[in-house]
Amino acid sequence: MIVARTVGLGAALRRSALVSQTGRPLALRNVLSKRSIQTQSLPPSAEEQILNSQRLKRPSSPHFTIYQPQLTWIASIANRVTGVGLSVLLYGYALAYLVAPGTFDSAHVIEFVAGLPDAVKYAGKTILAAPFAFHSWNGLRHLSWDMGKFLSLKGAYQTGYAVLGLTAVTTVGLVMM
Amino acid sequence: MQAALARASLRPAFATAARPARAFASSATRAQAVPADKPVLEKTFKIYRWNPDEPDKKPTLQNYTIDLNQCGPMVLDALIKIKNELDPTLTFRRSCREGICGSCAMNINGQNTLACLCRIDRDSKDSKIYPLPHMYVVKDLVPDLTLFYKQYKSIEPYLQNDNPPADREFLQSPEDRRKLDGMYECILCACCSTSCPSYWWNQDEYLGPATLMAAYRWMADSRDTYTAQRKEKLQNEMSLYRCHTIFNCARTCPKGLNPAAAIAKIKLELATE
Amino acid sequence: MSLALVARSATNKRIAATFARRALAPRLARGAADTPYVPGGPVYKGSVNDPTTFPPPNKVHGSHHWAFERLLSASLVPLTVAAFVTSESSYPMLDGLLGVSLVMHSHIGFDALLVDYLHPRKFPLLGPTLTWALRATTVGVLAGVYQFNTQDIGLIELIARVWHA
Repeated sequence: MIVARTVGLGAALRRSALVSQTGRPLALRNVLSKRSIQTQSLPPSAEEQILNSQRLKRPSSPHFTIYQPQLTWIASIANRVTGVGLSVLLYGYALAYLVAPGTFDSAHVIEFVAGLPDAVKYAGKTILAAPFAFHSWNGLRHLSWDMGKFLSLKGAYQTGYAVLGLTAVTTVGLVMM
Repeated sequence: MQAALARASLRPAFATAARPARAFASSATRAQAVPADKPVLEKTFKIYRWNPDEPDKKPTLQNYTIDLNQCGPMVLDALIKIKNELDPTLTFRRSCREGICGSCAMNINGQNTLACLCRIDRDSKDSKIYPLPHMYVVKDLVPDLTLFYKQYKSIEPYLQNDNPPADREFLQSPEDRRKLDGMYECILCACCSTSCPSYWWNQDEYLGPATLMAAYRWMADSRDTYTAQRKEKLQNEMSLYRCHTIFNCARTCPKGLNPAAAIAKIKLELATE
Repeated sequence: MSLALVARSATNKRIAATFARRALAPRLARGAADTPYVPGGPVYKGSVNDPTTFPPPNKVHGSHHWAFERLLSASLVPLTVAAFVTSESSYPMLDGLLGVSLVMHSHIGFDALLVDYLHPRKFPLLGPTLTWALRATTVGVLAGVYQFNTQDIGLIELIARVWHA
């Protein structure tokens, strides 16, 4: 009956059903015999299996590629990236010193840096100072959130812009140091 | 002659009586009239399509162009217009069209929001509509929210108290009641949870902002005596502590709520108890 | 005529039922074991009406871990300030403290990275391997930092002198 209704045969069937009461059952059978969809009774336990087979075909909707870049999550990613960058440097240098203290001792490192052209020195300082400044200021922002301060959306944005401003100023200051 | 006089004297009276009626009729006609003189303002919507009957076909963006001057102001109006007039196979959830049911949550122009509360930008730029991010898609804009509801159920979102007052209602001070403001209004549209990168990567174990705010809503309720049990459940690496205070949840909430603050308060209470 | 029609519709039904059974039979025979739970996958544990479950509660992985992380981060604030102030002269004690806390802070950060993106439940081989590799590396780094602080000029002085080199 559901099938019949969906293809708009409901009215026709009802009419033919009425007719069949008055002695013409053929019309009804004619319509029914043309149904292309058959139903089959399945146990309730089959439900989950059918659902799972459908689930396995479902695509996952797109996420960070389509999400609007916002200060909230871009700052969070930046916090992680800057932290990882600085930590990799610390880990790398400590391991290098552990393995080859003769090559990576302070005298050699300072001598190597002193021999670099000024442009490279300033570029290198900027590359180090900016992540350090951002991660430090943003770390303070996170600590204040964890203490229950600036927890409103407005607070999150104001502190976010403050961190960006302080990062710029601090980076310039550190590079000039 | 007398009759004519009477008619003449009656005429003004009739006229004044008839004027309001005529005025009403004409304004009604005006309201019903199609604003034919409005210019055509075309806008293209790029809408995510995927059909479970053709599961091997990759999801695509389909373009639909409609005249905004023949359409309601909200994105949901546009979707309904497209479904009615251009493509009846376009599938999306909707119900109340006034931001209280949470059915039409989707990603519109990169932000999760309710289509019924989101105005159509009347500029000429294309509008992109995706289902809620990083969710399994049932069809087109309909994501599978099963896990989201299972997680909501896991925090036991109902009042638990072993010693309810015997003969009267629970009493609560205005201050205690005020603690629930900003949390009880959540309509579980899943906009916040699906905007959260932590939920994208770990949604099978991390509860996500909507469920965690619901959890805190019951922890903060002065009438609930199961606060300690509720807190203990969250004492693990995944359920709560995958939150890194990103604030996407508060940024996107179509009801203006702040799950990030609620989660921060849970963390602080768990650390200081 | 009517008999023929009834017969035809009955045959149709039987054929359709056979087809349906054939199509569904392998799927039903496989049972639920064939679509196992995959973390993050589209198949979930339990029915749609079962709530999700929680891992066993453990404060070490919960609030204690969180509080330790915050206290450590907070302690880096005065240490960093002190490092800037004293960068002209050498304080081995400060070098030691800063070395250890920075390495711990980094370790927790890397660990959060692994838990977020490469959790063992999703990466049963890569996840545990990297977790243990990180632990081993951190031990090595602590040794390296200790060596540098005791045998060489110390972290703070190194940074100060490289900066002005």
